[in-house]
Amino acid sequence: MRVFVEAVGVLAPGLPDWRHMQAVLSGAQPYFAAPLAAIAPMSLPPAERRRSSPTVRLAIAAAEQALQQTSLAAQDMAMVFSSSEAAGVITHQLCEALAGSREVSPTQFHNSVHNAPSGYYSIAMNAKLGASSIARGKWSFAAGLLNAAAQVSTDQLPVLYVCYDCPSPEPLNQAMPISDATAIALVFAPESATSSSAAWQIELTAAEGQGHNDVKGEGEVAWPAWMPAAWQANASARGFSALATLADASCVSAVLPLSPELNLRVTRC
Amino acid sequence: MTPLAIRAYTTTNAAGIGKAATARALMAARSGLIVNDLPWAPLPCWIGRIAGIDTAADLPMSFPAALADYDCRNHRLALLALQQDDFLTEVAAVRERYGPTRVGIFLGTSTSGILSTEIAYQHRDPETGRLPEDFNYECTHNLDATTEFVRTVLGLTGPAMTISTACSSSAKVFCLAERFIRLGLIDAAVVGGVDSLCHTTLYGFNALQLVSTEICRPFDVARRGLSIGEAAGFALLDKENAGDSSLRLRGYGETSDAHHMSTPHPDGDGARRAMLAALASAQADVSAIDYINLHGTATPANDRAEGRAVHGVFGSATPCSSTKGFTGHTLGAAGITEAAIALLSLEQNFIPGSPTTQALDPDTHCGILLAGRAGLVSTVMSNSFGFGGSNCVLIFGKDA
Repeated sequence: MRVFVEAVGVLAPGLPDWRHMQAVLSGAQPYFAAPLAAIAPMSLPPAERRRSSPTVRLAIAAAEQALQQTSLAAQDMAMVFSSSEAAGVITHQLCEALAGSREVSPTQFHNSVHNAPSGYYSIAMNAKLGASSIARGKWSFAAGLLNAAAQVSTDQLPVLYVCYDCPSPEPLNQAMPISDATAIALVFAPESATSSSAAWQIELTAAEGQGHNDVKGEGEVAWPAWMPAAWQANASARGFSALATLADASCVSAVLPLSPELNLRVTRC
Repeated sequence: MTPLAIRAYTTTNAAGIGKAATARALMAARSGLIVNDLPWAPLPCWIGRIAGIDTAADLPMSFPAALADYDCRNHRLALLALQQDDFLTEVAAVRERYGPTRVGIFLGTSTSGILSTEIAYQHRDPETGRLPEDFNYECTHNLDATTEFVRTVLGLTGPAMTISTACSSSAKVFCLAERFIRLGLIDAAVVGGVDSLCHTTLYGFNALQLVSTEICRPFDVARRGLSIGEAAGFALLDKENAGDSSLRLRGYGETSDAHHMSTPHPDGDGARRAMLAALASAQADVSAIDYINLHGTATPANDRAEGRAVHGVFGSATPCSSTKGFTGHTLGAAGITEAAIALLSLEQNFIPGSPTTQALDPDTHCGILLAGRAGLVSTVMSNSFGFGGSNCVLIFGKDA
């Protein structure tokens, strides 16, 4: 499958936007860890901003960055959101309440759905095409990417793809440790909307390397030297290695683990 | 789209374990809902509960020892459902034919095995607040755990993922699978969904004042909300239809309301656009649809919005019903449960009625059927709508 990459959004500690990420990926700047500033998506009305969870705000802020870089309208895009766990903060609050008084708030409950980020986003942007919300554990980035690219190819329309990871409160974070919030947003199109956009060839490949944790695919997918090892728990950070193909002339392709048996290979073309 | 063969399917829901039992309940207008008897969630309401999944020892089959970490209510329900209707045999045949990496698996769920996390939170260490040592989030509660569990049981190694868009989850997996098969990424796919009873959905919907203390009565003038059920179901989509089934996925439509997180657009605008998109995708006229299985949760806001949307597209002539009075609202499994009911309707030439609905809301103008009836059924629409304004409409048909 071939898709055009129209825009990129990035959020991670030390990487507040795509420009900073490009500088690190191209080698122009070393990576410096720095706390991520408070995330306040402009498209969410203040009341919604308060009501929504940190994961919702993270996902929408990353999407907003990407939208600012493309002439394509949010209303013309289908949406694919992906995360291993999109409701950690809410799940913690709900489970605490359910283990005690069992009085849960209605807002908490509707915020607990995995598609809360895409729901809030579609409301904020008045985006009315289909939105999918994917979960595939540590392989969530590649799974969502495959779904987004497939939809670009079959439906012949632009697709916004957002993948994100957010730490949960303790004790839940023990069970699914995430230390930093990271997010990536990409706008894909079936045709090049601007002369500057790059194209990605995306294909399934067999994972043949010898890996660890019984995961063959991970053995052949090197973790970028500059990236904090702590982000290996973040499915969305896997996406950052694919961005190297857009920022580093010497990097033509990236391999992303999709399952124990399969990888996705992303090649700039 | 080119119609896609549905080689096999199965459903396990409160009205019946397997296709035959479900069909008998539909034809006998027999609801599977009961007064809530869950000792761990004593809410005054009705539920659709599956017997025999409280512990692994209760199951009629053994839980795979190698997958013991996955033992939870959601996966016991999945395992029970997989054993029905020779579904395992059909999957094995497809796996043989194409090879395991050419068969995808895409499942929907809204809460996965969250009950395990709820129980873990009841047993936190009083000193440290830590969760119990034997709690395994990744293999129970994580939204992808069910897909990974079922994938392993079925021996499939093709692309796999979970869709979690609340109550449209296990309808949207059909769309994903069709795209992947059309692009040649895979040759066949198992799609489906599993959602089991838990505190989060019972007390959460109760907090929204959407749970009825009586049995749910979709489109009834006296409806008071939904009854929550648990269910699991699967379908096997095959690019070649080597099994000679006459059943087809004919079309689908996916839209977003962009209106409110938990309330539908009052005129059902997103639902209307999804139905029109599905009809366009199936290249079908409204007159081609013989039956519409409505989302019909029995909450006043949902029923009114959907009723307006259906009336706007179809008028009053097309027979439609919500089968939530049989099964309860099975949330992330509603899409596959009602897809299975749509496929049963096609196979049996029977249109299910509304067993718990007594007096139709006079504000409803679409063609709600109170009593089921026999009749030729060749094309069926199934509606699924969820929180976040997520809408998915599927159209199924059969080759003559």
